[in-house]
Amino acid sequence: MVLKEIDSKKFRDMVRVATHRLGRNAEFINSLNVFPVPDGDTGTNMNLTIESGAKAVAQNTSNSVGDLTESLAKGMLMGARGNSGVISSQLFRGVYKATQGMKTLNAQELANAFSNGVATAYKAVMKPVEGTILTVARIGAQEGANKANETDDVEEVMKAIVEGAKKALKTTPDLLPVLKQVGVVDSGGQGLLFIYEGFLEGILGEEFADRYQPDEGEMDEMINAMHHQSVQSQLSTQDIANGYCTEIMVDLTADAPHKKTFNLDEFREHLSQLGDSLLAVSDEEVAKVHIHTEHPGAIFAYGSQFGQLGKIKIDNMRIQHETIVNNSEENQENVDFAVIAVASGNGIRKLFESEGVNRIISGGQTMNPSTQDIIDSIKKSGAKKAIVMPNNGNIIMAAKQAAEVSDIPVGIVPTKTIAQGLTAMLSFDADDSLEDNVANMTDALDTVVSGEVTKANRDTTINEVEIHQDDYLGIVDGDIKIANTDLITTASSMVEKMLDEDSEIITVIYGRDSNKKEAQELVEAVKEKHDDLEFEIHDGGQPVYNFLISVE
Amino acid sequence: MAVKIKTKNGLIDISNGVIATVVGSAATSNYGVVGMASKNAIRDGFDGILNRANYKRGVVVKSEDNRITVDVYIIVGYGLKISEVSRNVQDSVKFNLKNQLGIETKAVNVIVQSVKVLDE
Repeated sequence: MVLKEIDSKKFRDMVRVATHRLGRNAEFINSLNVFPVPDGDTGTNMNLTIESGAKAVAQNTSNSVGDLTESLAKGMLMGARGNSGVISSQLFRGVYKATQGMKTLNAQELANAFSNGVATAYKAVMKPVEGTILTVARIGAQEGANKANETDDVEEVMKAIVEGAKKALKTTPDLLPVLKQVGVVDSGGQGLLFIYEGFLEGILGEEFADRYQPDEGEMDEMINAMHHQSVQSQLSTQDIANGYCTEIMVDLTADAPHKKTFNLDEFREHLSQLGDSLLAVSDEEVAKVHIHTEHPGAIFAYGSQFGQLGKIKIDNMRIQHETIVNNSEENQENVDFAVIAVASGNGIRKLFESEGVNRIISGGQTMNPSTQDIIDSIKKSGAKKAIVMPNNGNIIMAAKQAAEVSDIPVGIVPTKTIAQGLTAMLSFDADDSLEDNVANMTDALDTVVSGEVTKANRDTTINEVEIHQDDYLGIVDGDIKIANTDLITTASSMVEKMLDEDSEIITVIYGRDSNKKEAQELVEAVKEKHDDLEFEIHDGGQPVYNFLISVE
Repeated sequence: MAVKIKTKNGLIDISNGVIATVVGSAATSNYGVVGMASKNAIRDGFDGILNRANYKRGVVVKSEDNRITVDVYIIVGYGLKISEVSRNVQDSVKFNLKNQLGIETKAVNVIVQSVKVLDE
């Protein structure tokens, strides 16, 4: 009997069987996963994705296929996990778009749905990598479309899609070199094939095929991929718990003393206690086992209870692994060119360190480091030459004295503020000479205007600015420019004075006495008038200064 | 700051531009990423998709003790699960830095600058 259309009941069967089939084989798909990141999770991810779709379909009571494909697509989108999951969700989004409003699907409509799925899926990627799930989907859809031109039997069309996908999967190692290197087919493509096969079984109304039994060739693929995954994970050698990679074949037809009846599940169960990375397959005649274990002998002894042992292979993985690791070992040494900065506040310390400063001397404003502190820090760096950034006008003298008495050449970049120090550091290049670095870094100081906001501790008048105790002071490049009782007003008017037409970036570092919220308020206030500027906010944790602000 | 690796045969110095290219290629090979975006869309007066030569405008590299933190600015296709695409970008950037350059990554921060509506 020719099946001319898929109704909602049929479609529910398709989704259910496909989900079941994929779920049962997730482990197998995981074992093939080497691309794009060999982390062995493709099967798990695809399974979670389609399960989320299937759940949405199950909750939808509609008897129209178009409504169900919509639920499937939405569910898969919500549950999408991993690259392959995101791709499948997009594929079925395309299927849903092509089937919108359709109560049933005929052969032509089914083929169109898959073709549109592929078209949609290809749109969301810059450089489609062939030899992946995309290729499998594309060839499958093509074969389906061709078949739909010949027949109106939906079974035939779905069969053609499965066959096309299967054929494409076989070609994936030829298209994607890393698959060939490792000797596997693409894991995501394999996952999609399981889904398609599930659809076909759902249409045919066949009994659920149980877990897919990999044949011997596929077992080799799984072993290759598993080793590739574990090599890439870069364990240290002593972390390998099971050191011998052991493979055996058991000829189940041969006689053995006290021969036991073979049952694959029991066989697996027993072996899994003896090691990890277990792979075991069997047919009527032969069983093949791959396992990482500390006791290869125990594997042989167990296997020989079921027949004669054929091919045997043992590799010591610790030795193999040491070779790999030693080849890539990187030796680190002390820096020979040190940069030392004076700073206080954890956040500022981190900002300097992230720019490549090697040592921080804590100090600035109220607690200036002594010449001796700076000399000690130079010595401790163990470097052959060093640059010191005082980051405060009052420390420049001490730094210069330290440079004179130091045993190694020391250059001073006369930074007067934290902002200048951070900017100067951007011009540092460890491969340049000391003199050139000092010159380049000093030049960079002109590109930045520094502002500081702090609290006045007494009444006074400086630079014609009248100051009351507890006023906030705005200090630009060392001169007090503004005093006001409100922090944000002080800071934003100070920033106004710092700007010129070349200003691009404003960096706000808030201190211990302020918080992120205040910094954001400040940024909002300045933004109102200058929406062409860019802002950065950092937690400096410095004492004394509520805000350190730089304009570049 | 560039990344330096000292080996017994000499020094390997990998510039930030190279790191940016590796990061950009890894990010854009992810499904759902339709392009790299500039980190300074306003300053560059440009909110379009960067071409390969300009990936470094969409990547910020900070190094610390030979481990690096990268910020990646991407554009994602509309209709995809953006959080998951971003997570995939983190995985593949991390893997490719380790695999191609031997660099340990401390963090990969993904900034989704915009979404692009794909015609359907």
